[in-house]
Parts: sequence; structure tokens; C-alpha cells
Amino acid sequence: MSATPVAAPEGLRVLRAAFVWGLLLALAVGWLGADFAFSQATLVATYAIAGLGVVIIVGQAGQIVLGQGALVALGAYAQTLLVQAGVAPLLALPLAATVGALGGVLASLPAGRLGGLYFGMSTLAFALIVEEALVRWESLTHGAAGLMVPGFGLAGWQADTPLAQAAVSIVVLLIALALAARLLRSRLGRAWRAVREDEAAADACGIAPGAAKLRAFIVGGSLSALGGSLYAHWIGFISPEQFGLVFSFELLMLAFIGGARRLSGAVWGALVVVAIPQAIAVLRDTLPGDWARSAGLELVLFGATIVAVVLLRPQGLASGPRSG
Amino acid sequence: MLSFLQVLSSGIAIGCVYGLVALSFVLVFKATETVSFMQGDLLMLGGFAGLALHLAAGWPLALAAVGAVLAVALLGAGLERVALRRAIGQPHLVAVLLTFGLGMMIRGGVASVPAAAQDMYRLPFAADTLGIGPLVLAASHVWVVLATVVLVLLLALFFRHTRAGLALRACSEDARVAALMGVPVARMHTLAWALGAGLAAVAGLLLAPITFVHLNMGFIALKAFPAAVLGGLTSLPGALAGGLFLGVVEALAGLVLPEGAKDVVPYVLLMAALLLFPQGLAAGRAGGGGR
Repeated sequence: MSATPVAAPEGLRVLRAAFVWGLLLALAVGWLGADFAFSQATLVATYAIAGLGVVIIVGQAGQIVLGQGALVALGAYAQTLLVQAGVAPLLALPLAATVGALGGVLASLPAGRLGGLYFGMSTLAFALIVEEALVRWESLTHGAAGLMVPGFGLAGWQADTPLAQAAVSIVVLLIALALAARLLRSRLGRAWRAVREDEAAADACGIAPGAAKLRAFIVGGSLSALGGSLYAHWIGFISPEQFGLVFSFELLMLAFIGGARRLSGAVWGALVVVAIPQAIAVLRDTLPGDWARSAGLELVLFGATIVAVVLLRPQGLASGPRSG
Repeated sequence: MLSFLQVLSSGIAIGCVYGLVALSFVLVFKATETVSFMQGDLLMLGGFAGLALHLAAGWPLALAAVGAVLAVALLGAGLERVALRRAIGQPHLVAVLLTFGLGMMIRGGVASVPAAAQDMYRLPFAADTLGIGPLVLAASHVWVVLATVVLVLLLALFFRHTRAGLALRACSEDARVAALMGVPVARMHTLAWALGAGLAAVAGLLLAPITFVHLNMGFIALKAFPAAVLGGLTSLPGALAGGLFLGVVEALAGLVLPEGAKDVVPYVLLMAALLLFPQGLAAGRAGGGGR
């Protein structure tokens, strides 16, 4: 073993995480049935990939982003259009991620002039413009009517069972996690954390904050777009409204719940965000009366979850346990 | 020329609504440093509360409107006491998520009332018109403009001549110094939220005759962000002016630009304003004038 003293606990951590998640999946299969468990695992992994983008931008580089949903949308639409044009899905994935990275570059352009909240506002404007463009550019996107997405396949093999879809998502998630972890240990990761803690101090130490933010958006944008492109395949249908403001906030909440300081936070957050609608569905069946069946209940409970998490753990983003 | 004037008048009316929502947003932001993503939901709640008091409880329209505004203002104050004050001093993102969640709860609460979820409502005088020579104005537009003018005058008086108004301004300028001067800062935060929520409710009631009262009417608040930013995000008159500007530009864009482009205009303006005038359009002149 030529592992360095630093790498050994790292390896142990990965092993432990693999054990915990494997156990969780096994429990879910036993409890909920294989097909349902795998389809939920697919969703969790896909959300986690998209959420990783938020964790990088918000948790690592410390920028407010209110329009991440637009970057996910860019990935989903790029993937769908490429696959519809005959590109192999596996080949289209990196291309879709590239489109997301370009979107990230566009979204981060105002960062040169704006900081903090003002920059967050500009990402909101970016997202609203993207959503409007997807609705209006009907010749390409079919507008609000949406697009049907072909299945994910590779050389004759189709990922059409829940097990296959879960396997693909988890493999992509693991690759994304490994790449992101590698980045966080690099010079760039240190630059992000320096910018997050104190932009002026980072600048004085020879780190260009503008470049660091731009790269955070390139990485975060491509990760979110990657999540979006897989999401499009699994859901089979995309429309602009799926990726609106509510989705952007769902991703923020995901990072907030899981803890944006660590990459694993994206996976834990994804688990919670995917589980909430399921829990609500169960609750709706058990509660008596018409009130429980109204569409309002879901909104109330979702909102209450956000409020509860923020009130109970306001430090979720600000000062979580530091093991980056 | 006539159609230009018609479009202009509707742009001014809708601009007043944008301006009022932006005003409520800026009021809260200045006093508490909280970025509120629930102004749209408070606006919707105001519209529905007025409607419920008028149609279901049978109150006269004016009384119902006042009742609705007071109720929503009370809700704002209550939410500040229970939840929102915990976000003070935290990063902006905490307040953003908190208010968004509270907004969702409000929307969900209204949506679970069957009568509210199913129909769109109009107020009785919505279809009336006023003729001035060849020009035909919608009565609702005139109402909005008049009500905005009165409201703004009242607010100006409140901020200039009352003790609470002065204290609120002091608190917005510098909370610590204000506290040292004996201003009860926590109570001022509650007051700011009550005012902000009440203003949003007024905007909802004014919007009711122009559009319908429906669950998603709060989305109009997304356009109040550009208005607030155009005004510099910390200037109350700026927010109102930004809203008016936005309403007029949007209406004129609908006249000139192709169908559909109109909806993007506010956001493109927001982007442009953030990039070109991060301090707001009047930054060079006002220099931090904090009215």
C-alpha cells in the first residue's frame, strides 16, 4: 500500500459511504419492492448530480444562485435535441454538459461587476430569460407543449428497466462525485474556498475572484446540465415549466438540507427532496376528508419543510461542519 | 396616437402595481436586510381576502378592502415575530429560502380552499370605462393611479412627520446607531414587515379589477424585482419610479415588438440595469438619499 496518510481516511470514508448507501438501497428494495426502490434511486442519483452543481457554486465558491434550474433545463433540452437528431445518448451526455457549461459562463458574466445579492438577482433574470426563450423558440423546443424524449440506450441495449436506469444514474453520479472531489482538492478548490471566505483577502493573495467564480459556474453548470440530461431520459418528457423558479429553489433547498459544504450533502439533500412528495402521497391516502386531497396540501407541506429546515438549521449553508 | 395613449394609460396603471410591490419589497429589504420572495403570495392573499370579505361575508367593498389589508399586514407582523426575525444577520440565502417557503405555504393554504382553487374572480366595477373626449380609459386603471398617488402621499407623510416613520428610517439607515438612540429596533422590524405585507395586499386589491383574482396572480411580483433593482434596491421613490418605468416600457414593447417579446422585456431590463447601473438609475444624483 503506497497510500499517503491523507489518502487513507479518504479511502475509508468512501468505503463507509458505499456501505451506508448500499445498505439504504438494500433496505429500500426489501421494504418498497425492487422496481419502486430502483426508480426512486434513479431519481435520487439524478437530483444529486444536478444538486452537485449548486453545492459547487453556493457551498464552495459562496455565490448566491437563484436560477440553477435554467442550467438543468439547458442540459435537458440539449440532450433531447441531440438524441432526436440521431446522436448516441452516451455521446450526447458530454455535449449536453458542455452546453450547460456555456450557460454557466453566460450566467456568471455579471459576476465581474456585481457581488452577493445583486449577482443572485442577475442569475434569477438569466433563468427567467432562458425559460421564456424555451417557451418562445417553438420551432426548436415546441414551446410550452414540450418535447418527448427517446429512451437512454447504448449500441442496441436500452435502459428501460428501473434497475438499468438506476445503474446508469449511479455510475454517472459516482463519476461526477469523483471528479468534483478531485477538483476540490486542487488549486481551484482552494481558490473557491478562499473567495467564499473573503473575496478581498483572496484577491490580495493572488487569486483572481472573477476567474474562480467563472470556473465555479462552468463546473456547476455542466454538472447540473448532466443531471438535467439524465432526468430528461428518465421522465421521458420535458417542458419549460418543469425547470422554473420552483425547481431552482428545490435545488437550493436540496443543497441547504444536505449541507453545501460537503459534496455528499448533494446526495443526502436529494434523498430528502425526492422523499418529500412520496411522504406527502402516503399522508394524503391516510388522512381523512377532502381537504387532504386538494392540491394545496402538497404546497403547504413542501413550504413547511423548507421553513422548518431553515429555522432549525440556519447554518446549513453558512457554517456547517468543515470537512471540505 | 390614440392607441398610443390607451397603451400608455394601461402601462402606467400596471406600472403603479409593479411600483407598489417593489415599494413593499424595498421597505422590507431596507429595514431588515431580508430579501422577500413572498411579496407575490401576500399580494395574492390580499386579493383573495378582499374578495372573501366582500362576496362571502357580505361586507361593503371599501370595508372589505380595508379589512383585507389590515389582515395581511397583521399576518406579516406575525410572521416576522415567529419566523422571519431569525433570518436577520444570516446570509441572504437564508431569508430567500425562508420567505420562499412561507410563500409556498400561503399559496398552498389558499389553494386548499376549494372555491379559491377553481375559479377566477373579477370585482364588480372591473368593466366600467371613462370617456374623456375620444379617449376611453378603463375605470380600474384610473382607480389604480389615484389610489397609488394617495397611498404614496400617506407614506411620505408617515416617513417624514410621524415618530414611528422617523424611527423606521433611522433603523434602515443604521440599525446599531438607531438602537443607541433609543429606537426599538426589533419592533421596527415588525412594523416594516406589517407595512410591507399591507402594501403588497393593497397592490393585490388594485390588481384585482385589472386582471382576475386567481392563484397565480402573485407571479407579477417577479416583475417587481426588476422595478426594485432599477430603483437601486434601497430607494423607496426609486422603486416606485422603477415600477412605473417598467410598466410603461413593457406596454410600449407590446405595441412595437412581436408577440411574446413583451414578457421578456422586464428581465432583459433587469439584466441590463444590473450590468450598467448596479446602484440604480438615479445613483449618481441621489447619493444614498434614504427616504
